[in-house]
Amino acid sequence: MKLKIILCILGLVVLAQLIRPKELSSAKAVPVNMLAGVTKEVAKLLETSCFDCHSAQTNWQWFDKLTPANFLVASHIRDGRKALDFSQWDFLAAPQRNALLYSALNAILSKEMPLSSYTALHPAAKLNEKDIDLLKNYLLNNAVGKPSPVETTANGKAQAFVKEVKKSPNGVGYIANYRSWKAISTTERFDNGTIRIIFGNPVAVNAIHEGKTNPWPDGTIFAKTAWKQQQAKDGSVYAGQFVQVEFMIKNVKRYADTKGWGWARWKGENLLPYGKTVKFDSECISCHRPERNNDYVFTTPLDIKDFNKK
Amino acid sequence: MKLRFTAGIFSFFIFIMLGCRPSTPNRINKEASVSSISKLPENPLEMTPMAVSLQPEIKTMAALYGNGMAAKRLKDGADYAAGSVLYLVTWKGKADPDWFGARIPEQVAAIERVSIDQNGQKSYTFFKGPAWYSGLNFKNDERQNIMLSMPLAGSPGS
Repeated sequence: MKLKIILCILGLVVLAQLIRPKELSSAKAVPVNMLAGVTKEVAKLLETSCFDCHSAQTNWQWFDKLTPANFLVASHIRDGRKALDFSQWDFLAAPQRNALLYSALNAILSKEMPLSSYTALHPAAKLNEKDIDLLKNYLLNNAVGKPSPVETTANGKAQAFVKEVKKSPNGVGYIANYRSWKAISTTERFDNGTIRIIFGNPVAVNAIHEGKTNPWPDGTIFAKTAWKQQQAKDGSVYAGQFVQVEFMIKNVKRYADTKGWGWARWKGENLLPYGKTVKFDSECISCHRPERNNDYVFTTPLDIKDFNKK
Repeated sequence: MKLRFTAGIFSFFIFIMLGCRPSTPNRINKEASVSSISKLPENPLEMTPMAVSLQPEIKTMAALYGNGMAAKRLKDGADYAAGSVLYLVTWKGKADPDWFGARIPEQVAAIERVSIDQNGQKSYTFFKGPAWYSGLNFKNDERQNIMLSMPLAGSPGS
């Protein structure tokens, strides 16, 4: 009886091998050109640790091909290529390549990547301290945003005015009054040569003061503004050209599908909404995922006390 | 018996899962918050943020804040009028632990205040912060002008 059951199970397992994800039927690794512009060591490291899921150069091992594991592997590859695809490297401009490398390194540092389920079976993809230092040093020496020279210093400049700001593709509307909010932090981004102010609305400032920021309460809104860095003759760096403003709006029920936050970004002096489809915000969530234990918020905010309230 | 065993194992795993949930503290940058500086008449962080700057050589970062009167300059670009109060808060910067590629404020090095009275008379006050050191070499006669001519972080209105 026992033997029959075992044979039946084996038969099912063998039959199951006929059902395979479509990625596997056309699974021929398409070699990626040697990554241009980076050192050989960096290119080799990325190839070993990232290419299986983040390029068309996927080397399926025999155990990756077994049903049902192959469905899981295929979904990882699908998601991986969507988030970052080294096969597109040659089509990217230098700043985009650098942004991609910084985001890859930060995913490694936050232990998001490579996936532990992947490295368990592909130990060669694991990165050690030496590998991480190699990436850090490469970026610090080759991919740091440089400020442009200051154009005007003496006089102020009247505010540019946009008549009508369109909604973000996910329906989030522009919030015009964020400049009257308080700055909960400032950031120098040497990876992309910007300087930022993170504004918090009164609900956010109150939550910080009461120490209730994890999770942030409904009604919290952040506006993260970025400017290009520009350098004066004395060496000081100031906010130059306006780059973008990004909003995070907390409403657990309304934004239940996007981790409780409404995400939006408006770019440039014309405040053009970012994103091509309704679901563009999956990009935002994917970048903020390392902060999932901090309610998806990167900023560690300043506490803004009212000195008159003792 | 089997049922009891299954229930026991199930509750054990639930217990382990709850026990292993990562702790989620409230993260606040207390050391960079302005609270321990004596004699400050008001908290500059409560005012309108107007400009940001970096001093790469000495690894500090600063933000300029203004009261309602000063903040008008953000909109119209006009000179600071009588009644304007400006604060420049300078922090020692540190690497952002959450993003390789960013620096954020650490301790306050100095807070400077410039006010313009009803006669247009300007006055400058300096407050030493916990991260102050003499190497910062702020020359008081230049600081007022530096603050008054800082390029503002302008953003489009709607």
